[in-house]
Amino acid sequence: MTTHFMSLDGVLMIIALFSYMIGALALVAYFFTRSEWLKHLGAPLAVAGCLAQFGQLIARYTETGIWPLLNLYGSLSLFAAMSVAIFIVFAIKYKLWFAGGFVLAIAAIFLAYGVTWNEGVMPPVPSLQSYWAKIHVPLVVSAYGAFLVSFVFSALYLVRYYVERKNTAVAVGGGSTEVSVWLSSLPSLPQLDVLVYRSVAVGLPLLTLGIITGAMWAHEAWGAYWQWDPKETAALFSWIIFAAYMHLHTRREFRGVGSNWVAVVGFISIIFCYLGVNIWISGLHSYKM
Amino acid sequence: MAAAFRSARAEFVRIFANVAFGVSMLAIWGVLTLIGVVVQQNQPPDAYAAMYPPALSRAILRLHFDDIYHSIWYLISVGLVLLSMITATFAKVIPRRLPRLNPVKIDAIPLHEHFRVTGTPESIRARIEAYFSSHGWNIRKRSFDGVEWSFADRFNWARIGVLVNHTAILVIAAGTTLYWWLGFSGTTAILVGQTVRIPQTGARIHLDRFNFTIKPIATKSGMVYQPTDYVSHVTVTGKSGIARPMTIRVNHPIDIDGTLYYQASYGFGIAFDVTHDGKPVPGLSGHTLLQGQTLAFPGSIRSLQYAQFVPTVDKATGLPAPDPRVNNPAVILTVLAEGNPLGQTMVPMGSWVDVGGGWRIVPRKATLLSGIEYRYDPGVPLVLIGALLLLLGLVITFYFLPARLFVRVDDCHDGTCDVGLAATTIKGYDIFEAPFKELCAALATSPEIGDQR
Ligand code: HEM
Repeated sequence: MTTHFMSLDGVLMIIALFSYMIGALALVAYFFTRSEWLKHLGAPLAVAGCLAQFGQLIARYTETGIWPLLNLYGSLSLFAAMSVAIFIVFAIKYKLWFAGGFVLAIAAIFLAYGVTWNEGVMPPVPSLQSYWAKIHVPLVVSAYGAFLVSFVFSALYLVRYYVERKNTAVAVGGGSTEVSVWLSSLPSLPQLDVLVYRSVAVGLPLLTLGIITGAMWAHEAWGAYWQWDPKETAALFSWIIFAAYMHLHTRREFRGVGSNWVAVVGFISIIFCYLGVNIWISGLHSYKM
Repeated sequence: MAAAFRSARAEFVRIFANVAFGVSMLAIWGVLTLIGVVVQQNQPPDAYAAMYPPALSRAILRLHFDDIYHSIWYLISVGLVLLSMITATFAKVIPRRLPRLNPVKIDAIPLHEHFRVTGTPESIRARIEAYFSSHGWNIRKRSFDGVEWSFADRFNWARIGVLVNHTAILVIAAGTTLYWWLGFSGTTAILVGQTVRIPQTGARIHLDRFNFTIKPIATKSGMVYQPTDYVSHVTVTGKSGIARPMTIRVNHPIDIDGTLYYQASYGFGIAFDVTHDGKPVPGLSGHTLLQGQTLAFPGSIRSLQYAQFVPTVDKATGLPAPDPRVNNPAVILTVLAEGNPLGQTMVPMGSWVDVGGGWRIVPRKATLLSGIEYRYDPGVPLVLIGALLLLLGLVITFYFLPARLFVRVDDCHDGTCDVGLAATTIKGYDIFEAPFKELCAALATSPEIGDQR
């Protein structure tokens, strides 16, 4: 508790957490009020938090000499950082700061949870001593980050869809227009749908590459590229869901509510694969000999 | 007969080539995959009885959910996915042609825009075509009833993305089948100083030394003993007959004549001294038992099973300590009567235990052993090629969107022309909305064309 929290690593972690929390509040408020100054507060905080996080990971690596992503603390930290980084790229490219509050809030929760897994510095067990650790882990964690972004947009899609449907029902009886005015400031349903597709377009190739590099690593470390270990199979499950999403998206009749529900389930499966399997289900990936 | 066959075939194609059917098959494959994550695999039957209510554990065993990935269900589900994918590929993906170059109603296409441009129709068309060509579009011209049309296509080649993906899946399937057909794998445990012969390959491996390094680390939740290295120093004799020294480490397998050998585990073999009525029994003494092996005593219903090696016994409590380094070792033995376990006892190395009937044993010496896994898998290159194709196909599908622009130039007979521009893609209009807006804005401000909208 003494030296550790005074280290650069700890300081940057605190900066990141606070930036995300305040940024999340500002951007969620921006989502509801559309006061521009809230965006001008939230967006820089998102960038600052993200930079602090990458700084923290680098500081941790240089301080300890140990690749920092091999435990839940480090990997959750990268997960939060990549989610925010991917979101920032989307936000700049497609003007999406309105959704940033949700991304930051979820990232902050995962980051805070990751901090509870900080067990201090440990050298990696033999199976983790491989250059693959430097390739495979960032790839899968980045895929998870992209799916977090797709989750936020698919959830917004579904919220807008159901609110609109309810509103049309109300409007027929002469209902409120306030909500519809507010809704009209969000991207349209087709635009939200395209955003989900574009973020899955980042996540699915990354997940595929992550599974491939994982298999290449397993081939080297355990002798077989595929062993039906719970972590591998859970990743395959998520992969199948997003492959299904991609196919549903090719058909007009399923594109929309149907495909977006599948994207939501896909993200839940990702979290199950990421945390559920690590915490509840043991297997080769619990890294025991 | 032939007609019946044709209609059955048509019906099969109609069902199997349907995306909804394919996605349903993917869903079934997914659910079976998930069951294998949640239900622990390859446990002994009584483990399921202990984990689940009786009806559920019976169902798990009866449906082979205890080894689901090798069950008939799993094979069928993957087979249906492949069949559906192949059918769709032949029925829908391959026959798909580019839409013909025909005039369209510009204003009826959701993505459309009009510009007023100064110049003759010919000069304007030339300028627009030059603009699109220099931005990666492939231009073709047609004239319909005196109206001049230009068609601009981009990333048409990317339509093969689907084909690349579906082929990739088949290549991966072929690669995994090759292993089932021609490959093999196994494990072997070698005691230090011992030589084993691998049955499938005939290779001989002698274990010269085995080293492991364990670092004790103080963490917030207590002492953790972190292993940091396992390494087998071996002498290997392959097909050439020449003995070579090699080392096998985790993450650094060795290759003997195309079969790979991996460091998988380690343990201890225990040699016992056995006496009966105080006299050594040469036939039973000195044998090194591996974990799980049993020592039977002639004329006695009792036997002893070597259950576990305890590297460190806590001197204060007399209980096994978590330290895996050898420091005050003991052996846990299971006492059996007629093959049924009676109980367990922990015997420090070098001390004795009475089995009854005048039998006494002493665990004398612990010898390190290295667990080696080996595998010959001729499918690996195919699987790798398939995987890379899959990735390539996904990138093509997601990042190269085939699109077509329709450009119509109408002379307004006042020195200007009306340029109508519309766009379609193979994935509908929504996905191209933003790029289309950008394109129109760029076109409108481009110095060659300019606009007078
Ligand atoms: C379950 C069996 C499958 C069936 C029936 C099937 C069928 C199809 C069909 C009909 C299309 C064309 C859709 C269209 O553009 O109208 C398609 C597209 C595609 N398929 Fe499959 N497929 C299957 C499995 C797979 C698998 C396992 C993959 C692996 C990733 C895959 C990858 C793709 C890709 C990347 C596309 C292009 C999607 C797009 O344009 O957005 N397919 N599939």
